[in-house]
Order: sequence, then C-alpha cells, then structure tokens
Amino acid sequence: MMRKMKDETELDDFGRFSEPALLILVSLAEGPRHGYSMTEDIEAIASVRLGPGTLYGALARLEARGLIEPLKSEDRRNPYRLTSLGERALRARLDSMMAVARTGQRRLASA
Amino acid sequence: MKWLLRLYPARWRERYGEEFGAVLASQRASFGLVLDVIGGAVDAHLYPQIQTSDSKPIKEEDKMTLALFQRCAAGGPKLSPSERRIASRLSISSALVIAALYLVLTKIYREAPAVQAMWWTSFMFSNFIYQQMAYLKKRLWPTQALVLGAGLSAMYLFMLAVLVAARKL
Repeated sequence: MMRKMKDETELDDFGRFSEPALLILVSLAEGPRHGYSMTEDIEAIASVRLGPGTLYGALARLEARGLIEPLKSEDRRNPYRLTSLGERALRARLDSMMAVARTGQRRLASA
Repeated sequence: MKWLLRLYPARWRERYGEEFGAVLASQRASFGLVLDVIGGAVDAHLYPQIQTSDSKPIKEEDKMTLALFQRCAAGGPKLSPSERRIASRLSISSALVIAALYLVLTKIYREAPAVQAMWWTSFMFSNFIYQQMAYLKKRLWPTQALVLGAGLSAMYLFMLAVLVAARKL
C-alpha cells in the first residue's frame, strides 16, 4: 500500500510537465521510442502535438527521476524506454485516473 | 530554427541537443513553436535536471537548507507554479508601489519617523505577500485581510516606536 501511494505521487511535482510526462509514459508503454516517434504517437492517441521544448522538459524530468532511461543508439535520435519504476508510476496513475473516471461516470448516470 | 538551441544551457545541449534538433527540424515553424522552445530554454536554466559526473549528490542537510530557502524566499511550501507567479507579481508590484509612495512622502515630509518606519516595514512586505499565498490561501478574504493588515500594522507601529525612541537618544 505504501509503495502504491509513493508511486502515485511520482508525477506530482512535475508542474506544467505533469500531463506531457504522463503522455510520454503512455507512449513508451508500448515499447522504446525516440522523441519524434513519441510526438507522433502522442498526437495520435491524445490529439496533442508536444513542442520540442515541452517534450524535452518532460523527458529530462522523467529521466532524472529514473522513470525512463535512454538506450544506446548510433543514430542521433536517441530512443528511451520505461524503467520498472516508471511502469509502476504509470500503472498507479492510470489506476487512480480510472477510479476517478468510474466515480464520475457513476454519478452522472445516477444524476 | 536551430539557432534557438543556443538558448539552452551548454550541458543541456550536450545531453539532448542532437535529438532535440531532430525533433525541432521535424516540426513546422510557427510562433507557437518558438514560444515552446523559449519556454523550454527558460525551464532548463531555472530547473536543470542533468546530473553531471562532477556534480555532488545533495545531502540531507542541504535538502533542508533548500526547503528553508524555498519557504522563506521562493514562494512558500506547496505552491503551484501559477500561485508562485501570482505571488511574484504581487511582490514585485507591491515593492514598486511602496518605493513610489516612499519617494513621494519623503519629498513632502522629509525624514519624518512615520515615513522612515514605512520604509523599514516595506522590507517585510514581500515576505508577507508570500506568507499570505502560502499559509492563508484557503482562508476567506476578510480573514486574509485581517491577518495581513494586523501583522503589517503591528510591524509598522513597532518600527515607528523604535525610530521615535532613537531620535530621543
């Protein structure tokens, strides 16, 4: 329970980068991607096109906190992947969002 | 557009420069894109996330010092970025208003203790604004006004008493 509570707060101090960071984690949940591929994927799943300033602001925070890690690449487009900590943080945040969504749907249905 | 990369810190460019350049080159140039890159550069300077091999790990006592500085000067505990912006604007605008008021009153009343006391009290004013944002933000406006007004008035009266006493020495 304590672990779940800690994981849930991993993205809380990202400020304006919280939402981009969550979208990046969702994008990387499918497998390693580089920056350009992430922006394309995020645009497809959330209809939001992240600018490079926002994308790398969020990537730097995620990497500094050990939620993602870079993979070696010959190409200048460095791919990233989720770490186990990142996976747990993403799972915890999605569970929390789903609980809120379910409550909202239930209340709307009964209104 | 690649010249915008120069706005970022050197260490940041070393780490992310190439891949950032690749993403930047893939996007259509627009005013919004320029703003996004400039905003990212400001963030990279203000909140550098990169740990270099020569940077020392932050010790527990250093964390306490940082937390103390943040509470005293950088916006109080648990403030959101938008609240920090509001607090900063309030703080800066109130400092300008006090400075203008002080100049006008000095011109009229010269070095009267009442004017000097206002000057000394103004040093605490910015801190009070942050306190209001940090600790009183969930209170009603009348409560905030009462606490701030009473605190500033008490401080002003104290400084006035000190300055009047000093003149009699």
